[in-house]
Amino acid sequence: MKKTGISKIVAFIFLLLMAFIWIVPVLYTSITSFKSEADIQTNAFTILPINWVIGNYQDVLFDNTSAPVAKWFMNSLIISVSQTILVLVIVSLAAYAYSRMKFKGRDAIFVFLMATMMFPAVVNLIPLYNIVDKLGWVNNYLAAIVPGAAGVFNIFLVRQFMKGIPMDFDESARVDGASDFQIFLKLILPLIKPVLTVVALFTFTASWNDFLWPSIVFNDVEKMPITPGLQLLQGMYALDVAHALTGALVAIVPTFILYLFTQKYFMESLSLSSGVKG
Amino acid sequence: MINTGVNKEFNMSAGIEKNPSKKSFKLSPYLYIGPHLILFTIFFLFPTLYGIYISFTNWDLIGAPEFVGFANYQEILFNQDSTFYDQLRTGLGNTFKFVLFTVPACIIVPLLLAAGLNAKPKGLKFFQALFYMPTLFSVSAVMIIFSMLFSVSFGPINHYLSVDTNWLATQPYSWIALVTVTVWWTIGANMIIYQAALNGISKDLYEAASIDGANSFQRFFRITLPSIRAQILYTVVITTISQFNVYGQPLMLTKGGPTSSTTVLLMYIQENAFGTGISIAGIGAAMAVILGLCIMVVSAIQFIFLRQRD
Repeated sequence: MKKTGISKIVAFIFLLLMAFIWIVPVLYTSITSFKSEADIQTNAFTILPINWVIGNYQDVLFDNTSAPVAKWFMNSLIISVSQTILVLVIVSLAAYAYSRMKFKGRDAIFVFLMATMMFPAVVNLIPLYNIVDKLGWVNNYLAAIVPGAAGVFNIFLVRQFMKGIPMDFDESARVDGASDFQIFLKLILPLIKPVLTVVALFTFTASWNDFLWPSIVFNDVEKMPITPGLQLLQGMYALDVAHALTGALVAIVPTFILYLFTQKYFMESLSLSSGVKG
Repeated sequence: MINTGVNKEFNMSAGIEKNPSKKSFKLSPYLYIGPHLILFTIFFLFPTLYGIYISFTNWDLIGAPEFVGFANYQEILFNQDSTFYDQLRTGLGNTFKFVLFTVPACIIVPLLLAAGLNAKPKGLKFFQALFYMPTLFSVSAVMIIFSMLFSVSFGPINHYLSVDTNWLATQPYSWIALVTVTVWWTIGANMIIYQAALNGISKDLYEAASIDGANSFQRFFRITLPSIRAQILYTVVITTISQFNVYGQPLMLTKGGPTSSTTVLLMYIQENAFGTGISIAGIGAAMAVILGLCIMVVSAIQFIFLRQRD
């Protein structure tokens, strides 16, 4: 008993020190966003603002001349929500067929898809731009929404989960006269809600945080999502600490809020996707 | 009407056919997998194959690609007078350095954190949530925050350490900054995986070892590590893959500097294909294929992993 008491204290002190490192950048950003740039220039290192101001937020969000953060924010919201919905529909349909329907070539196609997960995405970057350009999607939301739904991993994840549902369920529903699509919609979909929640959260955050691809397909400042937008913002406010940090903070608010409410799913999802059971 | 027998038979057969007629309404399985397969082909499979082809061509992204055989590879791998040769050497070298510096840190730090959390101290939930949180932030937001933290004149790091280190523009500080940021930003997932793994180790093993007189060092290396071997291997693989794709951190934090010492290959690929001036997509594609081959070696291990589970 005594021994576990000591190890608990050691662990606590260690974690407290690490927590300091992890929390300081976030606190620094949040607090600085309420300092005026003039205060920072004269008294850079007061921990709390001398005067609390919200001017940085007004400037960053609504100064539309060069870094329209509010517009970027809305662009990101539209893109991320649309991609999430698209992925959920496509993935659940495909995973259903791969796990519960019998058809010619099913396993061969699935193994092939799995094997392509080895293909590094960096190789398709340049031609993908060309395709998107030919479709007329440069500077169009679709460029950031659709290609991201082509991935295989989510299908694998949902299929794994579906395999845990006994086939007897489908059989008895079929005896009662349900069609495949009814079984999918009324029986399977409600049962796979947990894994779909995970897919939705990961798709949304990945889409929100995507950087390289959108910075290639958007060069119109008005159309851009916020993650590549911040690179422009950094250039603009290179010497303006308060405004730059306010922009960064605005960009992380949505995923942060999402995280606050759905923490449990993020944690559980990792044991789902890492697959190696503890 | 009169011949009820025939009618009966007709009704019966209709009743039997009820099911088959319903079956003809059933959507073909290919309609379920079709939407994904179409997107997969257009936006993944085809561009990947085309990307390999492009690496054997001269292309400006606009006209028709002109086939040049191995000329691009010859240029970037062997032509020592070429700037692209220098780019590949520098870029791939720095990418490998980045992998080498960050992967061990991104395994050891979360492992220590997980071990700490596994002792179930006060505030467990808070600590866990805090260390995981940065994973949810975008690379550009995190790089803005750290470029201000590391700033020479108005950065709090220099102020509170009472130094005037130019973190982002002198070596070895640029690498230290990049590794620090990457650890801060990305260790959340690995930590949770280790935590789950450590939770799964039976307490009896430790008790038995204690009775046999094993110290905590021995217990860690003889019991803990072997028990979570699979998770360590898995995280090494996924971490390595993601670090090979490094782009945003050096781009926004060190601008690839000082003097290209942190310019990674993906930055050169982006610059050659999409930078200002005429696109040199063929060279960019050849560089991408080389980077891709490095990643593929690691991904192959991941594939074997997932297949084992299937």
